[in-house]
Amino acid sequence: MAVVLENVTYSYNLDEMHRIDAVKNLSLRIKEGTFVALVGHNGSGKSTFAKLLNGLLLPTSGEVKIFGNSTLDGNKIYEIRKDVGMVFQNPDNQMIASIVEDDVAFGPENLGVEREEIKERVEWALSKVGMLEYRKHTPFKMSGGQKQRLAIAGVLAIKPKVLVLDESTAMLDPQGRSEVLKVAHELNREDGITVIHITHFMEEALDADRLIVMNDGQIAFDGKPREVFKHYEKLKEIKLAVPWETQMAISLKKVGLDMGSGIVNEEELVEKLCQLL
Amino acid sequence: MPITIRHLSFTYSAGTPYEKKALENINLQINEGDFLGIIGHTGSGKSTFIQHINGLIKPQAGEIEIFDLKLTPEKRPKVNLKALRSSVGMVFQYPEYQLFADTVAKDVAFGPKNLGLPSEEVEKRVKQAIEMVGLDYEAVKDRAPFELSGGQKRRVAIAGIIAMQPKMLILDEPTAGLDPFGKEQILNLIKYLKTHCSPTIVVISHDIDEITRFANRIVVFNDSHIVYDEPMQQLFKHSRQLQKMGLDIPRAVKVVNSLRARGVDLGEDIVTAEDLIKAVVARYNEVHSTSLDENAGVFDMYDFSQKWLTTEERQMLEEESSSEEAPIDKSIKSSEVSEDSKK
Repeated sequence: MAVVLENVTYSYNLDEMHRIDAVKNLSLRIKEGTFVALVGHNGSGKSTFAKLLNGLLLPTSGEVKIFGNSTLDGNKIYEIRKDVGMVFQNPDNQMIASIVEDDVAFGPENLGVEREEIKERVEWALSKVGMLEYRKHTPFKMSGGQKQRLAIAGVLAIKPKVLVLDESTAMLDPQGRSEVLKVAHELNREDGITVIHITHFMEEALDADRLIVMNDGQIAFDGKPREVFKHYEKLKEIKLAVPWETQMAISLKKVGLDMGSGIVNEEELVEKLCQLL
Repeated sequence: MPITIRHLSFTYSAGTPYEKKALENINLQINEGDFLGIIGHTGSGKSTFIQHINGLIKPQAGEIEIFDLKLTPEKRPKVNLKALRSSVGMVFQYPEYQLFADTVAKDVAFGPKNLGLPSEEVEKRVKQAIEMVGLDYEAVKDRAPFELSGGQKRRVAIAGIIAMQPKMLILDEPTAGLDPFGKEQILNLIKYLKTHCSPTIVVISHDIDEITRFANRIVVFNDSHIVYDEPMQQLFKHSRQLQKMGLDIPRAVKVVNSLRARGVDLGEDIVTAEDLIKAVVARYNEVHSTSLDENAGVFDMYDFSQKWLTTEERQMLEEESSSEEAPIDKSIKSSEVSEDSKK
């Protein structure tokens, strides 16, 4: 198992009197090589969940295990941080060097990787995210999508087994979003990297193997995206949504059209409408 | 005329190897009552453009007339920037990052205070603005902004702008980074502000389906030029060209185009989800000789029918009918704090 959470609770202490459980008694297993999409409204606990995965936060109770290593085990924490790469929301906060290849080399350099090996890794990582031609460029003038792909390359150079994208597409334009998503899927497919993609965009969850919906620190739904989107009423109640096309099918159904069920994308919506019209 | 822009051009780092043209001969008139959407991909010049309207960037060439102020490349006469910024309210991307005061009320008061208004007037405006964005004044005024949720913080930031009672409001990516519910709340707020606060609104967004929800006119920036300036219903005749520029077109337009390619022509002028529902139902009635109600279709994610009322209005409604849902965000209570605040 790539990721195992056993009865994990994480509490923020406000003061002596108040505390909030951001994650409540959560148990979960993620198989190696899975592409997981994780959604939930602001404050549902998903970012806390992400930070628990590589020991940035330690559980108040319960245990988080990455490939069998517990984040509570001080001897294993560096191994865990190597295994779980994180890319965050703001593309401008994740660059440290003024030249692209130096930025990507930062991680392996700090791990004491051999010079030759670093060179290989930087090349590999940059080509994986489609940025090799920019290796001598400065990251500061790049588009948001390019910066996030560069951030992913920086993580890849550490050779992680799990890639966590914590709302990494939130600040990007549609083009940047699809670039990042494409790279994440390729890494999952071609290199077997387990991806945990945290997002507010429901349509980004469609191609995931598994969709986990968090609400109030717990798992509200966990299944194939298609199956989860059938629960649109409940999803609305917990301040989420379904893909636009699904909402369209539901709206037409309410007027009296026989839309069937399970429409999640444009192709299926158009197909159904062609049959009806 | 609120805003007239003539022959505006701007180049970053002019005369250096990093020289980059951002705007080239921009001509645009923004009319009173416009609900204007601005689209264009990253780097197309739209942000540089709106920074001009707020006086953050001085024109290098061309001129801008804003209400009765004139911005030109000349050094003199000096423009009264305070007057400019109180008539054009600017809500930047992620405005909640700019909250700084230790209470919500103080933060919202910062703008009107700096306009030199008497303290009673400031207080009155603060209360109004906070309620206008759908927050409960008594519940939030003494709270630290950082204790609120992401969507609530953003609304506080917007309250800080509308407390200056601008005649025109510019919002840059107002819903970026919010969850679907938070997005809907902000979109509803913007519509509300159009009728109750500032009659002219400009919104920049990457999400075309969001823009088509309210804009009556859309301006498209591409490669430092304005390439289209059209009524919302007309713009997507240029779908193919827009897509070539790397811009999204509304999902309803995509569906209509795909249907047309397969021999089902629902006609032109379909832009929003509601348009599509209507057209589909009408066609269905035609084909199946049924009489389903074309106007019964709604594309509502959430019910916000009464979300944006003042306390007084809400009380009146509550007295009228006790069963209806309260409009103001009641999720803020002094005892509970959102998850965001502890990070």
